[in-house]
Parts: sequence; structure tokens; C-alpha cells
Amino acid sequence: MSWVGRRLLLGLAQLAAVPVLVFLLTEALPGDAADALAGDEPDPRRIAAIRVAMHLDQPAWRRLAGWAGHLLQGDLGTSLVSGRPVSTYLAEGFGRTLLLAALTLVLLVPLSVSLGVLSARREGGPLDRAISSITLAVYAVPEFALGVLLVTVFALRLGWLPPTAVGGVQQQPTVLILPVLVLLARPVCSISRLIRAQMIDALASPYVAQARRYGLSEARIRWAHALPNALAPAAQQLARTCDWLLCGVVVVETLFVIPGLGTVLLDAVAARDIPVVQGLAAVFGLFTVVLNLAADLAARRLAPRSEVAA
Amino acid sequence: MRARHLLGLTLIAVPLLLALAGPFLAGPPGPRSVSFTPGQGHWLGTDFAGRDVWRQVLLGGRSVALVALAATALTYAVAVPLGLSAALTRRSWLEDLLLRPLDVAIAVPSLVLVLITASVLSPGPAGLSLLVTTVAVPDAARVVHSAALEIVARPAVEAMRMHRESWARIALGYTFRAMRRTLAADAGTRLVGSLYLVSTAAFLGVGVQPDAADWAVMVDRNRPGLDLQPLAVVIPAVLIASLSMGANLLLDAVLQRHGKELPR
Repeated sequence: MSWVGRRLLLGLAQLAAVPVLVFLLTEALPGDAADALAGDEPDPRRIAAIRVAMHLDQPAWRRLAGWAGHLLQGDLGTSLVSGRPVSTYLAEGFGRTLLLAALTLVLLVPLSVSLGVLSARREGGPLDRAISSITLAVYAVPEFALGVLLVTVFALRLGWLPPTAVGGVQQQPTVLILPVLVLLARPVCSISRLIRAQMIDALASPYVAQARRYGLSEARIRWAHALPNALAPAAQQLARTCDWLLCGVVVVETLFVIPGLGTVLLDAVAARDIPVVQGLAAVFGLFTVVLNLAADLAARRLAPRSEVAA
Repeated sequence: MRARHLLGLTLIAVPLLLALAGPFLAGPPGPRSVSFTPGQGHWLGTDFAGRDVWRQVLLGGRSVALVALAATALTYAVAVPLGLSAALTRRSWLEDLLLRPLDVAIAVPSLVLVLITASVLSPGPAGLSLLVTTVAVPDAARVVHSAALEIVARPAVEAMRMHRESWARIALGYTFRAMRRTLAADAGTRLVGSLYLVSTAAFLGVGVQPDAADWAVMVDRNRPGLDLQPLAVVIPAVLIASLSMGANLLLDAVLQRHGKELPR
């Protein structure tokens, strides 16, 4: 089978397996949801009623089949706590999280490409050494530590920016600056380092030497010939970054009090609201799978010769 | 690069020293005073529960450092046998059986995995290490597998097989020894990664007691008093940042000396 075919097959298997895996994991939670819901003074009749309402009296595989069937029709079930459909939870938080993620991704690519290309210009030069040390150091710092430090300096000491996003984005767009900065830090470091390494390799390659012999301008060689080759692994790293971004979004939403999907997920886990956890996890999982698939295919397209993934 | 080496050492020295020696210097708990007051007999003021911040700082590094170390060790304790068995077996169905589930597990976002597993395990250092291990094993096993594949194809392994050497001798005596440098480099990156995951989970209140003496928990719990008592947040945050930065810089310096690129 062709590489693309095999990769698509793996993607499909992952698409099918992620919701099942999430279902099985939540199934492993101790006690069942009916106990948790019935409150401190459980009434056996109430527990039994909840069990029947949630189909907990049926075997696990029947429930899995039922849940998956509904999922395929776009029905994510209803919350145990509030009784509202899970999709309304998704709809509420989605806009805010999407705004954060989209802003980060839009800024991420030009920032990391320019940092990477800039430091690859003169390998080992002072600029390269400075950029490399900073990206190496910042890359390792957890978002919450970076976040509280930035808030302390820029919001509380200097008073330049709002410390939380409570005021709302419409009234005060500056509330987004610190959250996006925190979300950008790690991905920019990782991707710019990757682009730098790839650019250094590409600039030392025979085809770049040939292009120089033809007398092409250095800028054209760098941007039109070396960069596309350096971008292939970066595309894959970008997809992996989205996994962190998810982690980062939860931290940033907690830190800056933004009620997005991350907050919904954290609250649902704390309240044992299993349908909401399952629904969110399935959506996040599907998103990750599709993104990785797209990145692998894009990388293949950008650098067809190299063996990529799978 | 010597400068980076030095910078890494400087950054990691203070938090590591505090994490290791702190619990011995902390002494018995003093009486509780008012929450979030700077000074008043407390060098760094008090935290959300009126406890001495300096004492909490001394106590709070150990769990961060030890859990990250334990999680890395545990990850390899699972990943090495898994990856090695998959690489050494000549039955392709067994290789698929061992590795394909990992390809799927990797697709589950790690945070979702952390949050869901956290509700099954009991909070505390042991639970938190298990949590981070669960998230890291699929990727680590794949790294071990691909590193081992290249070694298993060597003539030496073929010769050992013809001599009917035992599986343990081929796997541990030769293959594992031949790949330990690759693994050491990977373990370094993974240690920095688990430092990140351990502290982020603790910050989100996952896998830890709400009043645990832990730098990441301190950052989270003392945030409401950030205006009144910034030291209770800033000091643990700086320590965690400095520990992570130092570890990564040092790792890069060591790897460069051995002529390896930092793997990602």
C-alpha cells in the first residue's frame, strides 16, 4: 500500500480508537456516576432511578455502542450535573478557546520562522548564541510559572496590562496580550530551534551551493530554496505543538480567568460529570488526530523524498 | 559551549540545593498567623493558610524534583522492556500487538489523559509519578524501539542468535548496552518534560493534596494574594522556572560535548 494510504488508515484507526479509549478510561473511575450524583445522603431509590436514566444498569459494551452511535450522529449526550446537552458546554467555551488558539497559531509561524532564519544566518555568531540560549531556556519553563511572573511584572508592578481577562475582550482587547504571550513562549522556542537546525543543514547542502554558483541572491536562496525544506519537519512539530497548546490553554484559562473549553474540562473532571469529560475528550482527541494527519501529509508534500513518520 | 554550561549550572544549583537540603533545614512548623501578611516575624511573610512562606519553600522542592525523577525512571522501567521485546521479536504480529496500541494512545491529548487518570489514582507523590509515567510511556517505548531496531540488525546480534544465546543476554547484555547513550540523551529530555508535566499538573490541582508543600501548589494557592504578598507566588515560580531552565541548558551543553543534537 502507498505511504499516503497507510497514513490515512492509521489516522482512521486513531479516529475510531480515541473515543473508545476515552470511554474505557472514564469507565475505570471508581464508583459510578450515580453514587457521585446522589449526594451526601444517598437514597437507594434515587440511585437506582439515576442508574436506569443513565443506562448504568446495562453492560459496559452496550453503553459504549450506544454512546458511539449517538456520537456518530453528532449527539454528545447530556451533562449529569446540569442536565443540559454537552454540545451547549462546547458551544459556550469554544469561541474563547478558539480565539486564544487562533491568535497564537497566527503569530507562531512568522515569529518562529523569522527567529530561526535569523539565527541560522551566522551559525555560532553572537546573535545565534543569544537567540539559542534564550529559546533553550524559555522552552523548559512551565506556562504557569512564566504566566504568574509576567503578571507580577507587567500587571502589578508596572501596571501596563490587565492581570486577568475578567473585563472582557470586547471592552479591553489588551487583556489578550499576556495570555497569548504565555501560550506562544514554548512553541516559538521549539519551532524556531528546529527551523534553525534545518536551515543550517539546508544552507550547507549541494543544491544551495549550486544556486550560489548561478548567482542567485542570498535572500532568494534563503527564503525560496532553503526555507521550504526546513519547513517540512516544522509542520510536524507544529501539529505536536497543538497538543501542548491544549495543555497551555487550560493553564492560561485558569491563570487569566477565561471561561473557555479548558475551564469546562477542568470543572467537569472535578464534578465527575462524565458525559461532559467524554464529549470534550473525544472532540479534543479528534482534533489532535486530524491535525497530525494533515501535518504528516503536508510534510510529505513539502519534502517528498524524506521518509516522514509512520 | 562553556558559557551555556556555566549558566545552566548556576540556574539549577539554587533550586536543586533547596529541594534536596530544604526539608532537613525546615524545622518544626511554627504557629499560624494571619494569611498573606508580609514580614511580622516571617522572613518571606505568610501564605494563604497563614503558614511561614520560607518554611514552605524549603519543604516544597523535594516533591517536584523527586516526582520528576521517579516518573522518568518508571517510564523507562516500562518502555525499555516493551520497546526491546518489540524490536527483538521475529514475529511481526507480536511487534504489531505491542506497538500499534501505542500509536493510538499517542493520539489522546496528554492533558486529557492526565486529567482522567488523575481521578482514578489517589493524590500524592506516588500517584503523580504514575500519572506522568502513563503519559510518557507510549512515546518512550517508540524511541526505545526505533533505537533498538538499528542495533538488532547488526551482524553481532545475528551471531548471538546463531550461538543460541539467551534472550536476556541478547536484549540486555548487548542491545541495551549498545543503545544506552541514545537513551541517556532521551532520558535527559524526558526529565525536563516530566518536570514540566509534574509541576503543571500540581498547579492545576491534579494529583496533589490541596495544601501540599509543593512549589507548584504554592503558586496556585497563593495567587489570590498576589497583590498583598507577591513573594509567596514569585519565589516558588522563580525556583521552578530556574530549575527547568537550568536543567535544559545543562542537558544541551552535555549533549553538545558528546556531539549529539538535542532530540525533540
